[in-house]
Amino acid sequence: MAVLEIRNLCKSFGGIVVADQIDLDLKAHGVLGLIGPNGAGKTSLFNLICGVVPPDAGSITLDGLSMEGQPIHERARLGLARTWQTLRLFPSLSVIDNLMLGPRDYSADRLIDVFLRPTYIAQREREARQRAEYILERTGLIAIKDSPVMDITYGQQKLVGVARALMNEARCLLLDEPMAGVEGQTYALIQKVVRDLAESGVAICVVEHNVAFIKDLCDEGVFMFAGKVLARGSVDQLIADPHLTELYFGT
Amino acid sequence: MDYLYSILILIGLFIILASSFDLVIGHCGLISIAHPIFYAIGAYVSAMLAKHNIMPIPLAMLSGGVVAFVASALVAVPALRVSGDYLLIASIGFQLGLIELAKHIHEIGGAGGLTNIPSFLIRDYGRESYVVLVLVLAGLTVLFIKWLTQGPYGRMMAAMRDDELAFSMLGRNAIWVKVSVFGIGSGIAGIAGGLYAHYFRFLEPDQFGLLQSSAVLTMVVVGGLRTAWGPVIGALVLQLMPQMITFFNLPPSVLGPLQGLIFTGLVLVFMFKRPQGLLAAPVIWTGKAPEKRGA
Amino acid sequence: MFDVAVVSQILWTSFATSSYFVLFAVAFALVLKVNKVFNFAQAGVMTCGFYAAYVAVRLLEWPGFAGLLAGIAGALLMSFILEYFGFAVLRQRKASPMFVFIFTLIVSQFISYAIMLVFGTWPTTIFASMFWPVTLVGGIAVSAWDVPAIAATLVVLIALWVFLRFTRYGQFMLAVADNADLAELYGIQKNKVLMISMLMAGVIVAIGMFLYGSRAQVQAAAATELMLFAVASTILGGIGNIWGAAVAAIILGIVQNSSILFIPSAWQGFLLYAFLFFAIVLFPRGFRLPERANKLKRTIRAPDALVTKQEG
Repeated sequence: MAVLEIRNLCKSFGGIVVADQIDLDLKAHGVLGLIGPNGAGKTSLFNLICGVVPPDAGSITLDGLSMEGQPIHERARLGLARTWQTLRLFPSLSVIDNLMLGPRDYSADRLIDVFLRPTYIAQREREARQRAEYILERTGLIAIKDSPVMDITYGQQKLVGVARALMNEARCLLLDEPMAGVEGQTYALIQKVVRDLAESGVAICVVEHNVAFIKDLCDEGVFMFAGKVLARGSVDQLIADPHLTELYFGT
Repeated sequence: MDYLYSILILIGLFIILASSFDLVIGHCGLISIAHPIFYAIGAYVSAMLAKHNIMPIPLAMLSGGVVAFVASALVAVPALRVSGDYLLIASIGFQLGLIELAKHIHEIGGAGGLTNIPSFLIRDYGRESYVVLVLVLAGLTVLFIKWLTQGPYGRMMAAMRDDELAFSMLGRNAIWVKVSVFGIGSGIAGIAGGLYAHYFRFLEPDQFGLLQSSAVLTMVVVGGLRTAWGPVIGALVLQLMPQMITFFNLPPSVLGPLQGLIFTGLVLVFMFKRPQGLLAAPVIWTGKAPEKRGA
Repeated sequence: MFDVAVVSQILWTSFATSSYFVLFAVAFALVLKVNKVFNFAQAGVMTCGFYAAYVAVRLLEWPGFAGLLAGIAGALLMSFILEYFGFAVLRQRKASPMFVFIFTLIVSQFISYAIMLVFGTWPTTIFASMFWPVTLVGGIAVSAWDVPAIAATLVVLIALWVFLRFTRYGQFMLAVADNADLAELYGIQKNKVLMISMLMAGVIVAIGMFLYGSRAQVQAAAATELMLFAVASTILGGIGNIWGAAVAAIILGIVQNSSILFIPSAWQGFLLYAFLFFAIVLFPRGFRLPERANKLKRTIRAPDALVTKQEG
């Protein structure tokens, strides 16, 4: 069964269609790449899935639960996590504090606990810190865990973005251009983290511009154009299709 | 001596008001200047409950805080569901509207003011005891807010100020955090209102208008947003400075506007020359001292 | 109980008196649309406009027309100071919206205290008398104030429409309102356009205050309430929609003035806050805030812009 099911999803802003009857399944253990030219509606699709913008029509279910009308934070608590093209880290927090806000249920989510159950809060904080440290270890960030996120390199920030999304222990993870602007060791690290995660059973969807990145990361690709899903298949198949290549590079 | 006590009590009350306002506007980043109306609600509720012997004064004061808490939620929930900007307009409308309403209700004294509010502590233990009570509560408020903002809840507020969308995407409910913090801040102001009512024993609606809003805002901005001691310094400076003007024996028609001019002028000067206030808040949220964090 | 003559009289007077409400609302909506600021400092501009006219007519004994010009000059000067030393500086510093907002609020308070110090707290009017001769038109008393006030408002609205529609700078203003960054890319001088929009709002509120001050008493703090009325109209009219704000102002003006038929007059002042609250609680969903509307537009525009860049 698919982890995330999208059926007949439609959205337009004014006259511009960003999602046109999209049907899409994300399966556990799979990494799906979204390919398509600028303005094809890839990031818009992420925004629709996360509830940043409401759809005009269609349904999205996560593990069989409908997410219709659910606000962003509720979707996250159902096990949906994402990273952002522009990272959107919290500049006034350190690396580890950025991560510690990530668990599906955070220690201080209920204010009443803060006042009445200090030991519970301390316990949850300890667990979150342990988990954050474990993830930072895996992503090679442990040495800079107390640095402010604005003081680290772009590649490290990119890793923090992914690491923060991992705190959710999500069922479904959406990565918006995780590899762009990253090279060398960091590139390999992100690749490994994503592959490991898929193996552990998470359904992953990646938006990437660079087809080479998609090939390194994904088992399968989906070609989007003007808000439509045009084709789905192995990345090599998609690249080989002359029609799609033409659409991608324009004429 | 009474004069000195009054000033000390006002300083204490303004420390409570400014600190709780800093929690709302500084730590949580909510734009509202209607803080004095929750002070007013606490004061009136406590005064009326005590005046009609419905409950003992300490309980009445607490009830004032609770009513202020509830009232703040009534303003914040509908407004914040739309956007942060609406909170400001809704709360100003609420503040001025409620003042206008209070002027027309005879049972609470109308525009002329509510008199003969029962006093607390003073008759049995003297005015000094009230001064001590207020100053102790002021200290507790400062410590409470320091504790809250340095704990996991403070981490949430810092992140929410930075980027609300990313914050929501982690599963945190931004609206709920805002409503809660707005409520806590307003509830504290409500309790301070009760403390005011049972010492000065007279309330009138116009006391709680925009002049008072600018005064509290000035204290926070001048002292330094998001610092534990900034509001304290702000309250001290801005409470003592107008007292100095009173020594010039100016007529009240000049004194009021002059005070207002000083408050607002100071905010303007600070906004352009030293936006961080007298005490600058650290850029990075650090929480409690690392050794206390536990392993 | 409701006599037709009485009702139509009240409706007419309410309609006439809503003229200045329309002007205040239009000015507020214009600045919100173009400058993207909830400009509570408009109250300060209004106060300056009124007292400039007051000084000219009552103290210097200039004729009424010169008083109007003085009022406009006063409002223009204040608007210029606000934009040049205030908003422009804050923009350059990339101050947060909260910061800008507090600035507008504090400035308007500052001006009202300064005016109180200079002119005292007593209410006053532009002309020595605020009673206007009345003519009966078909059973309705029409005062000599009503018709010029309505005419002046209409002239301002038409002029604004023509300006936005047909002049270069009017088009620039709409472009900046639509997407300031994009407009700047096309070579529009944003700062100049924003200054013009502030100055225009200044002229509009000065005319409004002249109308108001020749009919009702004004004191230093009065402008705040008048401005809150404009805020309620702007929200009800749909943020970003100047003409919607004008229509909402007429409706609210008529409702408030004719409320005399239903509720005791002492409660009339309270009605404003009820409007404000209803506007926010009941009608906000349909209206997008400038910031949000802007983001939406950017998501639409971005692909085009990028596509052109790629081609080029």
